[in-house]
Amino acid sequence: MTATDALSHTTMPPAPPADVPVTLRINGAERRLAVAPWTTLLDLLRGPLDLTGTKKGCDHGQCGACTVLVEGTRINACLALAVMQDGRDITTIEGLAAGDALHPLQQAFIDHDAFQCGYCTPGQICSAVGLIREGHAKTPADVRELMSGNICRCGAYPNIVAAVEQVMGEGLAGVTANGGGTSR
Amino acid sequence: MRPFQYVRAASVAGAVAEIRSAGGGDDSSTVAPAADLVAGGTNLLDLMKADVMRPAKLVDVSRLPLAAIEDLPDGGLRLGATATNAVTAYDERVVARYPMLSRAILAGASAQLRNMATNGGNLNQRTRCYYFYDTATPCN
Ligand SMILES: Cc1cc2nc3c(=O)[nH]c(=O)nc-3n(C[C@H](O)[C@H](O)[C@H](O)COP(=O)(O)OP(=O)(O)OC[C@H]3O[C@@H](n4cnc5c(N)ncnc54)[C@H](O)[C@@H]3O)c2cc1C
Ligand code: FES
Ligand code: FES
Repeated sequence: MTATDALSHTTMPPAPPADVPVTLRINGAERRLAVAPWTTLLDLLRGPLDLTGTKKGCDHGQCGACTVLVEGTRINACLALAVMQDGRDITTIEGLAAGDALHPLQQAFIDHDAFQCGYCTPGQICSAVGLIREGHAKTPADVRELMSGNICRCGAYPNIVAAVEQVMGEGLAGVTANGGGTSR
Repeated sequence: MRPFQYVRAASVAGAVAEIRSAGGGDDSSTVAPAADLVAGGTNLLDLMKADVMRPAKLVDVSRLPLAAIEDLPDGGLRLGATATNAVTAYDERVVARYPMLSRAILAGASAQLRNMATNGGNLNQRTRCYYFYDTATPCN
């Protein structure tokens, strides 16, 4: 082997694995996409799909800023591969309002001043939608415990809990995610 | 994350065959397997982002029909490998007959993570020790 051969072998990167076709229903609209297997749902939403409402706080499942609803169930989009969501219904913060009518939780967050910088807020609201749909929270202590996957660096916790409680008190009728199906 | 191939297993036998044909399956201690299973991804993807785990291929087992929680003749329960931690912890039979298990699961991680995490992945998760997460230490 000549020196040139050796060089060309070491400098030629292996062909990256091919993109995978996926079909997602995002905020009610069907999207057919080709994604690299290592793309997280979070990076797909924020990058190619330009849905930057969902935030990246830690990228390791620890802060909840990336919370979205998959088939109505809240998950951390940073630890979800986009390819693994093929065929599923995804709701992000952008998909909660009905036109100009805010989702009851969005309105409650405003009513209760439940944010300061707002960075955690989309995740908090999506998480609260999931929490109410799950139906396991009966007391304010339950709300705090079951919202504990959403960190607020600004410490707006008392107001967040108050906003969630207000909507729980209003009854669950209007508080399901768009197109929320059965849980996984 | 480093690039990897992705394949969704259509059956248990298919998942096993994928791991075998990639030459893996016997040495669960390796951090750079030719192929690895992924279910909820909450442990494995975290470790892949930290560059601790470096599988060349992921075999997705999350849609295999292994999510059932079944009564056994002796009064016990069989918890499906792909049943999520949340479904398991809130299952009426688990709550009534294995309350400590239910409470232990609910004391872990967060609601979002428990919605993704599976029983199989929970049992097979890697140590959460910080030395293991630090690629500069000899642990991995
Ligand atoms: C912020 C954070 C907090 C956490 N807190 C806790 C905690 O409090 N307690 C706790 O126990 N865990 C915790 N975890 C770890 C993890 O979320 C759980 O252990 C979870 O149950 C892993 O399941 P999974 O399906 O996501 O596993 P994956 O990440 O998909 O897989 C983990 C491992 O199991 C293997 N595997 C998966 N399914 C199978 C199967 N069916 N058969 C054979 N092998 C399989 C995979 O190949 C991989 O090696 C936490 C994780 C994060 C990110
Ligand atoms: S960005 Fe996903 S939990 Fe922090
Ligand atoms: S409002 Fe700033 S992090 Fe919650």
